[in-house]
Amino acid sequence: MKKEKRFSILFFMPFMVCFILFWLIPFVYGCYMSVNKVSLTKGNVGFVGLSNYLALFNEASMYASEFIEALKNTVLFVIISVPLLVITAFILALIIDNLPDKLKGFFRTIYFMSYAVSVTAVSAIFLWLFNGNGGFINNIIAKPISWLESQPYAWIVLAIVTLWWTVGYNMILFINGLNSIDGALYEAASVDGANFLTRLRYITLPGLKNVMTYVTLMSIISSFNLYGQSSLITKGGPSQSTRSLIMVIYDTILQKNNLGVGSAMSIVMGIIVMAFALCQQYLAKEKKDLMEVNGSEKP
Amino acid sequence: MKSHKKKLRNMVIVIIASIIAYLFLIPLLYMIFTSFKSLSESISSSELLPNLWTLENYFSIFADTTTSPIIRWLLNTAIVTGVGTLLVVIVDSLAAYALARLQLPGKRKILLIIVWVMTIPGIVTVFPSFYLFKNLNMINTFIPLVVPYTANAMGVYLIYNFLIDFPKSLEEAAMVDGASLFRIYREIVIPCIKPVILTLAFITFLSIYNDYLWPSLVVSINQMKTMTVGIASLVLGSNFVNPGLMMASTVFAVLPALILFLLLNKYIVREDIHVGIK
Amino acid sequence: MNKRRLFVLILSVVLAVPALAGCGNNKTTADENETVKTETSKTVSQAAESDKIKITFLNGFTGGDGEFMRKITDGFNASQSKYEVVESQEKDHLTQFKANGSDLVVIPGSSLYTYEEDGMVQELSSVYKEAGVAIDDFIPAAQDIVNMNDGLYAFPLDIHPLTMFYNKELVPEAPKTFEDLVDINTKLQAENTDIYVMAIPGSGLVEYYYMGLAAQNGIDIVNDGYCNFATDEFADTLMKWHDMIFVDKLSPANLGLDAEFTSFAKTADDITTQAAIALTGPWYYSAAKEIYGDNLGIASIPTIGEENATYGGSHTIAVSSQVTDEEKLAGIAAFFNYLYDPENLLNWADSGQTPVHQETLEIIKANPEKYPLPAANAEAVETAKTGPKVYNSNEQLSYISNNTFGRIVSEENLAREELMTELEKATEIARQIAQEQ
Repeated sequence: MKKEKRFSILFFMPFMVCFILFWLIPFVYGCYMSVNKVSLTKGNVGFVGLSNYLALFNEASMYASEFIEALKNTVLFVIISVPLLVITAFILALIIDNLPDKLKGFFRTIYFMSYAVSVTAVSAIFLWLFNGNGGFINNIIAKPISWLESQPYAWIVLAIVTLWWTVGYNMILFINGLNSIDGALYEAASVDGANFLTRLRYITLPGLKNVMTYVTLMSIISSFNLYGQSSLITKGGPSQSTRSLIMVIYDTILQKNNLGVGSAMSIVMGIIVMAFALCQQYLAKEKKDLMEVNGSEKP
Repeated sequence: MKSHKKKLRNMVIVIIASIIAYLFLIPLLYMIFTSFKSLSESISSSELLPNLWTLENYFSIFADTTTSPIIRWLLNTAIVTGVGTLLVVIVDSLAAYALARLQLPGKRKILLIIVWVMTIPGIVTVFPSFYLFKNLNMINTFIPLVVPYTANAMGVYLIYNFLIDFPKSLEEAAMVDGASLFRIYREIVIPCIKPVILTLAFITFLSIYNDYLWPSLVVSINQMKTMTVGIASLVLGSNFVNPGLMMASTVFAVLPALILFLLLNKYIVREDIHVGIK
Repeated sequence: MNKRRLFVLILSVVLAVPALAGCGNNKTTADENETVKTETSKTVSQAAESDKIKITFLNGFTGGDGEFMRKITDGFNASQSKYEVVESQEKDHLTQFKANGSDLVVIPGSSLYTYEEDGMVQELSSVYKEAGVAIDDFIPAAQDIVNMNDGLYAFPLDIHPLTMFYNKELVPEAPKTFEDLVDINTKLQAENTDIYVMAIPGSGLVEYYYMGLAAQNGIDIVNDGYCNFATDEFADTLMKWHDMIFVDKLSPANLGLDAEFTSFAKTADDITTQAAIALTGPWYYSAAKEIYGDNLGIASIPTIGEENATYGGSHTIAVSSQVTDEEKLAGIAAFFNYLYDPENLLNWADSGQTPVHQETLEIIKANPEKYPLPAANAEAVETAKTGPKVYNSNEQLSYISNNTFGRIVSEENLAREELMTELEKATEIARQIAQEQ
């Protein structure tokens, strides 16, 4: 046991060193910058205490209105996109699982390939597809829609783009999860005469508990970090309704030239995302306990 | 009777999968076809196929290799992604194993910190890291291009979740059977870890490969740029982008990732263990 | 794999990392200055050796413009053996400049004041003298851009104003007034309701639109270091664009990014709305030429307001305040001396840009076949207005560009009071941005 403990620390050490050097130290430096007046051009001008943070919640300040607006937009996006990403990935994984073995790899590749394309190219492609004036989609549907210039279409476009671009990754995780469910359970269930939906509810879903939680958490985090698509496709429009938190932070640092407020914004954003993540973990744990009580625990 | 039903069911599923596949492919087809369009056609036309096929975009990319040393950029990227991915996979899998299997002291606290760290947006550390590397005079070297990715806790969490799902019973059964630790690792653990390690490797490769902001900050010399940064300065005009040129460069940029994925495709998902514990 | 093998692998990777530290070119400009200083303090003959004085030149001329600037830079490097200008064309070159610095940098005219106030660029009167360039060599509009706080802070390169492209098939003669636009539109709409005289974009180049009309109406929005939008005149200017869409019906409503050009570029067989003219940036020239060939007309924008004027961006070349080495400054002066020889500067005109050097401009005006786009813009740039000289002018204008103008083109019943509220909000933001100075 003692030997194992020593080995465990040794195994963990490389990550810990990298983490401290390349995350913790910059993070502490970032916190330090958030309580100073800093910019890329003028450097560190002086200590300002919490005024960068207070500026985010002071109605009169331009930073506050942008930050709060962006927060609302981003939370909206998280609420729209996360269920979409998780459920669609799950359905795709189910489809692939039920395909004849020879075709599995082929379809898996097609659904996952989009993940390899860079966000700049993805945005250029969808800008063309959803162009309000004679774009590909508008040429197919009966009545042309100003996709990018009006809501709720702008959000729909962003959701579709994010789905197309990133669902492949979640799908792969679900596929792995599905494959790790013990086949004997399915055999036993079909002997008992259970149909597809029953199998789904009592074997598949409980077996995917951990994967589901992980995928949901990751989707929440990545949706909160929305940046490329909204800045390149809708450019934060129409009327800044799709401006995300990360866009505002980048803008504050690079355009408004205020690294101090930008750092403060990122830290506040981190706290908010963490709150969401903790909620999600809590709910997931609750559900897990409930399911275990109902006797669908893995043998 | 039963096999007839099964055949019908299979066909329905294949049809559904194909329709979805077609939807997934449309944007990619646009990307490929537009790369063969001329400037005017790529801006004005809403047809998928080019009226006039041209290779001018591809030639443009390779035209001026003194100012745009594509080969050197490719080499830089190969080194950066290769070493970076290897480092990340090794560091993360070791740490995850320590968390999942070996009794790491403070495990619960560490897991909480890891989840917490993942929720903090990356932008917090970008500029501080940049300043740190600048003060150490490491701008325009390979170190800042490769090493900071190892601090990402996401990979640790991914492998950890995978490991805890994987029943220990197989390992324990093998141990009871008298198999050596080495054999257990080789014949049971590795086949089961391989898919998630390769998934992590591929994801890490993509995130390093497609990263723009960080490499653009830590590299100011043309010879040291990565593919993504180099191609951006080649293709993204100051006022507007030539869609055909951009798509050509994307087709070119996506090839390595695609080839890698086609090679790894089989290994990214693990074979069904519908065999169970007999 | 057992634990021992793992250790060996980790060890080898860890050892590889310091090896990587050695690779790559980590010479900083400080190092290079050191080397250069010691070199030039030696005998003159050694300066003639391969160690030229390197001057870094950072700009954002990616895409089509780049090769023309490179021609100039390469020409300078070939014409003498003492200095070498190392040009770097980046997409986000200003971020690069802020992060890693550069000796020479191209700064958009509207941002020059900001960089000067931040102490990033240095005063250049002595460099002008050494280069044999006088400020009066440039058109007044350009002099205005670089002359601030009793000093010259950059060399003006070009102005790129809002330009009009028109489709000669639909519009035989370039419209010169608002009434011309209405007449053309009535005629076009009678034949085909999908064709309008113009397309007013909701985002993208909109700053050129509202500031251009403000220039035509003689409005100066700068007040005490920040932009004051909450005036009746400015509101009227914005509402003019609104009315052009909803009252005069000169353009479809609710168009998006870059719609002014994409609608112009559309070919008639698509089910789209098409515009007969495009008020857009000169950078679309090559695309427009490819689509329309000889049917492409270029002219300065029509007078929609009270007088003929246009608005545009500009490029200037500045010297970083980090450059203190006398030798390097001499090299920089030599570069500017080379650049402002019309023979060399005309390369920049080949790219379609309009240089603001008077002598060069005269040559361009005399040769419109050789320089179609710059010649068409030559008159316009002399009276062109450029960005307001306030701190961080881009950000001060951003609320109007990103929020308000979008509403102008999409909300038919936009009330005057609502518009004023928006303008007041924009003014408040501009005021706060100016305070960051």
